[in-house]
Amino acid sequence: MPASLRELRQRRNSVATTMKITKAMELIAASRVTKAQLKARKSDDYTRELVKAVSSAAAYSTVDHPLTNDITDATRVAILVVNSDRGLAGGYPSNVMRATEGLITRLRDLGREIDIYTVGRKARDYFAFRGVELAGSWTGFSDDPHYRHAYEIGNRLIDAFMRPTDKGGVDSIHVVFTRFQSLVTQETEIIRLLPLKIVEDSGDVAESPDVALERPEGFVPPYLFEPNPETVLDALLPLYVIDRIKYMLREAAASELAARQQAMHSATDNASTLIDTLTRQANQARQGEITQEINEIVGGAGALSESTQEI
Amino acid sequence: MTVTSTAPGSTEATTGGHVLRVIGAVVDVEFPDGRVPAINNALHVTVDSGEGERTITLEVALQIGDNTVRCTSLKPTDGLRRGTPVVDTGAPITVPVGEITKGHVWNATGDVLNADPADITVTERWPIHRDPPAFDALEPRTQMLETGLKVLDLLTPYVQGGKIGLFGGAGVGKTVLIQEMIYRIAHNFGGTSVFAGVGERTREGNDLIHEMDEAGVLKDTALVFGQMDEPPGTRLRVALSALTMAEYFRDVQNQDVLLFIDNIFRFTQAGSEVSTLLGRMPSAVGYQPNLADEMGQLQERITSTRGHSITSMQAIYVPADDYTDPAPATTFAHLDATTELSREIASRGLYPAVDPLTSTSRLLAPEYVGKEHYEVATQVKQILQRNKELQDIIAILGIDELSEEDKIVVARARRVQQFLSQNMYTGTKFTGVEGSTVPVTQTVESFKMICDGSCDEIPEQAFFNVGDLDDVYKKWDQLKKEA
Repeated sequence: MPASLRELRQRRNSVATTMKITKAMELIAASRVTKAQLKARKSDDYTRELVKAVSSAAAYSTVDHPLTNDITDATRVAILVVNSDRGLAGGYPSNVMRATEGLITRLRDLGREIDIYTVGRKARDYFAFRGVELAGSWTGFSDDPHYRHAYEIGNRLIDAFMRPTDKGGVDSIHVVFTRFQSLVTQETEIIRLLPLKIVEDSGDVAESPDVALERPEGFVPPYLFEPNPETVLDALLPLYVIDRIKYMLREAAASELAARQQAMHSATDNASTLIDTLTRQANQARQGEITQEINEIVGGAGALSESTQEI
Repeated sequence: MTVTSTAPGSTEATTGGHVLRVIGAVVDVEFPDGRVPAINNALHVTVDSGEGERTITLEVALQIGDNTVRCTSLKPTDGLRRGTPVVDTGAPITVPVGEITKGHVWNATGDVLNADPADITVTERWPIHRDPPAFDALEPRTQMLETGLKVLDLLTPYVQGGKIGLFGGAGVGKTVLIQEMIYRIAHNFGGTSVFAGVGERTREGNDLIHEMDEAGVLKDTALVFGQMDEPPGTRLRVALSALTMAEYFRDVQNQDVLLFIDNIFRFTQAGSEVSTLLGRMPSAVGYQPNLADEMGQLQERITSTRGHSITSMQAIYVPADDYTDPAPATTFAHLDATTELSREIASRGLYPAVDPLTSTSRLLAPEYVGKEHYEVATQVKQILQRNKELQDIIAILGIDELSEEDKIVVARARRVQQFLSQNMYTGTKFTGVEGSTVPVTQTVESFKMICDGSCDEIPEQAFFNVGDLDDVYKKWDQLKKEA
């Protein structure tokens, strides 16, 4: 369709500028995703030891600990949504929100009240747009989380968890985050963070097999707990919860960057296809204009010479 | 090129001249001194082409000096040779007018095509060249003409007694929409209709006659055809012939008249075909230099006078979908409402493929259609415009990158786009769905609801090819059942 040449060129230029941005963002994301990946794996040793200790302590503890008490009929539930601060990460933010919506509907159907905690601007804005009151939100570190962030979040959540329900406490905490599987696949997951589920027979601490990052292998050594296993568990569990949160934040950060790299890559591809199309259209329009002008000049000259011959 | 003397104006239609030169559809004729015919006079030539004699009508277009006139031929000029005698009829081409024209099919020169000429008694003939109505005789009133098609009523409300243009490239549904309009308006219309087939497909004209006959409106309709197989001279005049018949009904019988012209571009095209042969220098894009003048002379006559209206609907072909082409561009200015058909919308299967952003109407103002209608139409356009702006972003980054507000705009725009399509009566044979008529109040209300977000939960498909919102809900229920 012959559109105006100027318009086509203008559009092509604007797409080209957009492409420069997406290209740059792709490269940035690519360099940062490796770092984020390393960071996510870096604390594996610490986590392994921590899990071992928690499972041992839990295995020897006989008393019901609030953090491990399995509550079947919770009245109030907290959801921590881990999402990104910035967009341009393809389907990453909306996948998280979709999973969250699914979880919310499921819990609502069970008659639970829901407190929502968010990490990342995308999640906060999503709920703000829908007029949902948030119990807490943190922003600004979604692509590079630190221990102190996890510490802050963890303490808030444990605090809410320890408070009695009638004073605004919650009975269980769920987390929606994205697990980094590879540069091309990231999976949104929902796990229950608290209360912990203790699998008695193996002595493992695990809500789902993947959260207990690696099960302690083999025989659990017969520890002696001073002063007693409960006190040790008291001290260990918050550490464990914070560590889990840090782990999930880091996974999410790696996922976000990987998703961004991919999204920006395809955006760059799309932009270059669009530029090709627009260039072709612009060339066609230009050629059309030239042809028409030649036509008019030749036609005019022809008519002129014909009419002068006649006279 | 130099017109040296104005013709003395031959009043006696007797002594003729002879053919001097034949170039395709243009014939030069030399007359004896003092008997040169006036411009627009009709000349007759009798030709023996081997299959019996036939008469060719020529129309004087130019006086080129030396007692010679340059004419356009309204019939093919094969068999014509130099020296053939030519008779000046002393008057312009005339066509029959009055009751007799109804129910019959005519050609540009006023010969009946679907009956034996012997059975037709023509009481009155009018010349096809006439002056437009006087300035003070024009109708100042403005009233909306309801069509029952949502997209037209909402975005390009038609003016009763006004001029309506349907613009579109090849194959986007101009003729179908014209026929739909004939069905919708002419069927519920007490007055007379006149249809002019200008340079379009002969088959379509034939279909139209049969359809009108079946629907029982043929008896109130005069049809004038000069289709694409005719020489340019005919295509240049057939619109005038039809218009003359319409004018008679308006001026003499004081009736409201519907005039359908399919396709006004062919009129311009015919003019451009003979323009260079007539010796005029080609102007922009090779069109005739008097393009605007020619169009103006035709369009100024299609108008409503006090109390009696000619409501005209004109299909206008847009060459290569280029709206800046001089032919459609000169037509724009004459129209009260322009409905532009878009290839992009047609290719998505949304009919009528009216482009909601470029189509306009003089009537779309709060003082004519009411505040609510105007606001809803504006809102619909805003949503669609925003959606259009977002398309580049969506193409590059994907729909997930849009802000929450924009996502809603896009979702509503998609529903609006689907809802602008409608099941049509003439489309029944293609879609198998009977057509629907939606009153304008309901149209406005429905679109208001979509814009306000009351219909956000209804899936897009439910809005496709339906009448009012009730149909949408019905379709939704059906979709739910199927799922």
